[in-house]
Amino acid sequence: MIEVRDLRFHYTGSEFALHIDHLAVQSGEAVAMVGPSGSGKTTLLNLIAGVVLSDTGKIRVGKQQVDAMSDAARRSFRISGIGMVFQNFELLEYLPVVDNILLPLRIGAGLKVTDGARRRAAELAQYVGIGDKLQRYPAQLSQGERQRVAVSRALLLQPPLVLADEPTGNLDPSNKGLVLELLLDYVRTSGATLVTVTHDRELLSSFQRVLDFRDINQWRETAL
Amino acid sequence: MKGVLYLAWRYLLWHRWKTAILVLAVTLVVYLPLGLQLVVQQTATDMTARADRSPLLLGSRGSPLELVLNSLYFSGGQPPPLTYGGVRALEHTDLAVGVPLYVRFHSQGFPIVGTSLDYFSFRGLEIAAGRQMVRLGEVVVGARVAEELGLAPGDSLISSPESVFDLAGVYPLKMTVAGVLAPAYNQDDGAIFTDLRTTWIIQGLGHGHQDLARPEAAAAVLKKEGDRIVANASLLQYNEITPDNIDSFHFHGSSDDNPLTAILPVPRDEKSRVLLLGRYQGNPQLQLLEPRSVMDELLDTVFAVQRYVLVAMGLVGVATAAVVLLVFLLSLRARRAERDTLSRLGGARALVSGLMLAEIAIVLILSLALAALLTGATWIWGGALLQAVVMQ
Repeated sequence: MIEVRDLRFHYTGSEFALHIDHLAVQSGEAVAMVGPSGSGKTTLLNLIAGVVLSDTGKIRVGKQQVDAMSDAARRSFRISGIGMVFQNFELLEYLPVVDNILLPLRIGAGLKVTDGARRRAAELAQYVGIGDKLQRYPAQLSQGERQRVAVSRALLLQPPLVLADEPTGNLDPSNKGLVLELLLDYVRTSGATLVTVTHDRELLSSFQRVLDFRDINQWRETAL
Repeated sequence: MKGVLYLAWRYLLWHRWKTAILVLAVTLVVYLPLGLQLVVQQTATDMTARADRSPLLLGSRGSPLELVLNSLYFSGGQPPPLTYGGVRALEHTDLAVGVPLYVRFHSQGFPIVGTSLDYFSFRGLEIAAGRQMVRLGEVVVGARVAEELGLAPGDSLISSPESVFDLAGVYPLKMTVAGVLAPAYNQDDGAIFTDLRTTWIIQGLGHGHQDLARPEAAAAVLKKEGDRIVANASLLQYNEITPDNIDSFHFHGSSDDNPLTAILPVPRDEKSRVLLLGRYQGNPQLQLLEPRSVMDELLDTVFAVQRYVLVAMGLVGVATAAVVLLVFLLSLRARRAERDTLSRLGGARALVSGLMLAEIAIVLILSLALAALLTGATWIWGGALLQAVVMQ
């Protein structure tokens, strides 16, 4: 599903640099990335999603070589092919839950909100346990509920790849387990791939594989 | 595009107070100069049209503007009076017919205009309901008066007392509505017309009372000296003119000495008009005016003020536009996180700027729609409003 080769990346004006000679994640795999802050976990997620571009090397997601695509194609690919979940939820405060879930359809070029999409949004909300809160605004929800909205948004277009950047970082213990289980359940039932950045070592046992970024230039793979 | 418009609309709804203030500010910047221009233009047209239909106006020396406003537009202060003898003097020149006007009293906020039947033909006023006034104490009301007071022929109205505490002052007179005028869409719609002598009765220059020769009035007789009977204060004076008591109404002294506000001279022809102007030029007591010239002077002042106001509004408009721009620029900075989210999810690079442009467009459309509504309302009511203000 994901293949990274000879990746070199650095931020302009920063000493940070990421070197990855080879990394492969199979379809249907649930992978966790752990490591100290600043070790490059989020950067790798952004590189895989095409949010930032590598200096050299190749990143392939499915049949697409991300770093060879145009900016518009990468954005379009990201919307329809990758579900993204963030630590701070990143919901739009001025949209009710249902519109936050439908957001990819409103901002994606050539996409539109259909009755089917509305039904799918309602089903997802029901699935993650916020079916009765579709018309509420993010400010009216708990932290756990907000992250469940973000998960629903990520899963709306049934992406083959889900990238989650510390999705449980701001949640209490009961919500951590619930949100992670929602993501893993989606992977199990759809055959999608999940790559998650986490600092929470208690959750690692749920993943098939852990990539440990102990050093920004040298990551170690642990099979569980 | 639809998605961007929807998001922009949602954003504006969420920040509804900020949006309302922006819309209001832009609306005012657009509407105020337009509305002012419209109102002044309408007012100028209406006022000059009435002045044009009144070629000359004769009154006592004093403020020409006060005389024109009072006699043509039935508002403003009271000009010094002239006497009814002025009508006879004018007609004695054989150059014009004089239409007398006495505009001093009011009823329920509407001016009572004492005049002659010639006024109706001079202004082209027609009776829409009832009949023309034919006897003392009868009035014909303008269309707006009838509508606002709910008056119809056969109803009555009472003149307003000038001073509650002045025992010797003007007492209210109950008058009967004989007819209602068809709408003329000018100041005549808001006036109550009556015979000149009725206004003199309101003023107390004529009155009606019990017949002292009759036995039931015996208690009111103070003394008799031949034909002359002196009555005490218990004498019953009538405050309504009815068919039963109309014969008891009488005037003391000569009607030539009774007051008028102005006379509308209707010259026989252009030559007579010019001759009349010459005849009254230099008259120490009277002034003969051309109302259009007086109104032009007033409107020159209004237009001068309007120019200053428009310049000031232009400056306010520039300042408002700058503030609105600042609000959006600050908003752009404050929404950096939102922009990053949309971009990471896959939104187009121009999405956020498109979103803000859509927000600006919606604010502008709402403002222009509101400004159009206000301009429409001004078109309908503004002229009358400004006229009322100017007349005060």
